[in-house]
Amino acid sequence: MERTLQRDGTARGRLLCASLLFMGLGHILYLRQYLKGVLFALVEGIVLISLPRMIGGIRNLFTLGDPHPELPVMERDHSVFMLIDGVMLLAALFLFVLLYYISVRSALGEYKRYCDTGAFSSAGLGDHAFPVLGLAPMVVLVLFFVVVPLVFSACVAFTDYSSPHHIPPNNTVNWVGLDNFVALFGGNATWAGALGRVALWTLIWAAAATLTSYAGGTIMAVLLQESRLKLTPFFRSVFLLPYAVPSVVSMLVWQNLLNGSFGTVNRTLIALGLIGKDTVIPWLSDATLAKFTCVFINLWAGFPYFMLLVTGAMTAIPPSVYEAAKMDGANRFQVFRSITLPQVLYQTTPLIIMSFTHNINNFGAIFFLTGGNPKVADSTVTSAKGTDIIITWVYNLTVNLQKYNFAAVLAVCIFVVLAPAAIFNFRRTKSFRESEF
Amino acid sequence: MTDEKRYRSARRSEKFYRAAVYVFFTVVTLVVLYPLVYTVSAAFTPGSSISALGLIPFGDGITLDHFRALFTDTNYVRWFRNTMIIAASTSALTVVVCTLAAYIFSRFRFVFKKSMMMALLILQIFPSFVGMIAIYVVLLRIGGLDTLWGMVLIYLAGNVPYNTWLVKSYMDTIPRSLDEAARIDGASNFRTYVQIILPQAKPMVIFQAITSFTGPWMEFIFSKLILRSNENQTLALGLYSFVTDKKNEFTMFCAGAILIAIPFMLFFVITQKMLVTSLGGAAVKE
Repeated sequence: MERTLQRDGTARGRLLCASLLFMGLGHILYLRQYLKGVLFALVEGIVLISLPRMIGGIRNLFTLGDPHPELPVMERDHSVFMLIDGVMLLAALFLFVLLYYISVRSALGEYKRYCDTGAFSSAGLGDHAFPVLGLAPMVVLVLFFVVVPLVFSACVAFTDYSSPHHIPPNNTVNWVGLDNFVALFGGNATWAGALGRVALWTLIWAAAATLTSYAGGTIMAVLLQESRLKLTPFFRSVFLLPYAVPSVVSMLVWQNLLNGSFGTVNRTLIALGLIGKDTVIPWLSDATLAKFTCVFINLWAGFPYFMLLVTGAMTAIPPSVYEAAKMDGANRFQVFRSITLPQVLYQTTPLIIMSFTHNINNFGAIFFLTGGNPKVADSTVTSAKGTDIIITWVYNLTVNLQKYNFAAVLAVCIFVVLAPAAIFNFRRTKSFRESEF
Repeated sequence: MTDEKRYRSARRSEKFYRAAVYVFFTVVTLVVLYPLVYTVSAAFTPGSSISALGLIPFGDGITLDHFRALFTDTNYVRWFRNTMIIAASTSALTVVVCTLAAYIFSRFRFVFKKSMMMALLILQIFPSFVGMIAIYVVLLRIGGLDTLWGMVLIYLAGNVPYNTWLVKSYMDTIPRSLDEAARIDGASNFRTYVQIILPQAKPMVIFQAITSFTGPWMEFIFSKLILRSNENQTLALGLYSFVTDKKNEFTMFCAGAILIAIPFMLFFVITQKMLVTSLGGAAVKE
């Protein structure tokens, strides 16, 4: 089936029609790219064959199944599977549309090259397919293991998926609109109170954790840099150790050391005579003190990272600036305040914002140190304890209470707060401003 | 003689300053080492719970029982093997997938590029467990429950958004003239990537390989959700089971933990120069 193809660009319309009619048709009929064309056609074939199942899947996404109390448990409609399968289907459809778009563009691009050079490129996949093939693994992975789960979470925020009355397969889950948001933001006093308390602590925690680690890291980096003691390399290595120890290990060890009655810290203080024989400092069991403990232990674990960052950033300050300052008779503090600090701050601002967003979601620092404890008044109902931040509360709601709907609302809230911060940060970056997006 | 006076007082204040820095560093060193010393000493101390531990490190005698028990009474070797497989595969695949994507983001122009970069940036906000129910079902659909490769997929997908960004910003700083020269010599895109870009991006690639290798060693939430059978347990699950409410074998936990932590610590201390370059580079190049 040979067809001649005009080189003056007039065949563009015909090619576009063929490519739109069936994926890969243009490649096979006109461009002699049989391998590419057959692969494209194969994809569309598979999609067409599974179309009936797809339509069923999308319908399930809207209904989430019907209750069938008369059937045995395992044969009833499983709403959660329906929801996740539906979201996966949408992701697959998205990929299909994307591929369709790519195939049409590839056909037109190929035709343009043919008009310019008068020759077809190789019959294989060719070098032009490289960006598509190279990105494919990343796109598929991120789509199915990151986007689909997050979209599912967002969907659950608008359903009644929760224990005890709406857990599949016994019962179905239903769409409930904004009910969960209303309940959490004031409709239910206990839950709304807990949300306010946890949200406030999350913000304070993230700000305090970021600032202390940053300040601590900067001070250590500057002192190490300019003190030039004989033992500086030794100290530098020691200060790095908290960064190298897996944080789960160090948090669990701290948890045991700080235990109120049998922890080493309190027993040492008693042995030294600093506190009375039977006094117990409730490092982790008093709601207020435990918060300070969390921030301090996070400083212990977090300052080395900033120490490395700031050390790296300081190497970018030209030595001549320091020499000039010395000639003018500036003392150490003045040099630090007027040269080092502004430079380092300027260079590390994006990382401070990033670290803030990281700390808002710093699950390990809270969960493995305090487990969210101590319990407070509403803990039995809401499972939010004294040092729980939002993300550990999400974990408690999911794993212990099985209130998936409320957990999802909280995840949506985190998203609404953090996404603008991330975008703001992104717009400041050099790669955004300078590159030819 | 005012000059000499000023010189003397400057020397005196310099001495004072150095002494103050020494004292400060020593205090910080003690605080930094405090929990680490107790961890190491607990690993060698007879007995099991922390309440029985003496206040002076290594004061209760030294024993290797906990290490012996790890290798004989528990599945430590099996846990280690499983975790090693997961960590090594995650690290290798993260490097391949992310550098390839980063190279394309850095060097090619295509539609939706900006939106894709933005999406990656927003997606890396969340810890993966926010979507853990859906991830469970996705693995169920592809037969990946209770398998090591299922875990690799989860960790890999979790690494991709942030790491692609990191490598992309690094690659932006590699001069384009290098790959243009290669292309003029007739090298394909793939060859340019393997032979020109990858060697140039080596510091960042190594940094990425290390951080994605260390991540899985202590990951707990997904291992617990996905790995159910006995032979697929990982180190984090095994070690955490020593310190849960049911049993309190703190010393055993410490023994198991330092066997992993010490190689890591040595490694980080030895490579700290490179860490400074990579991290500092990431900071400056943002």
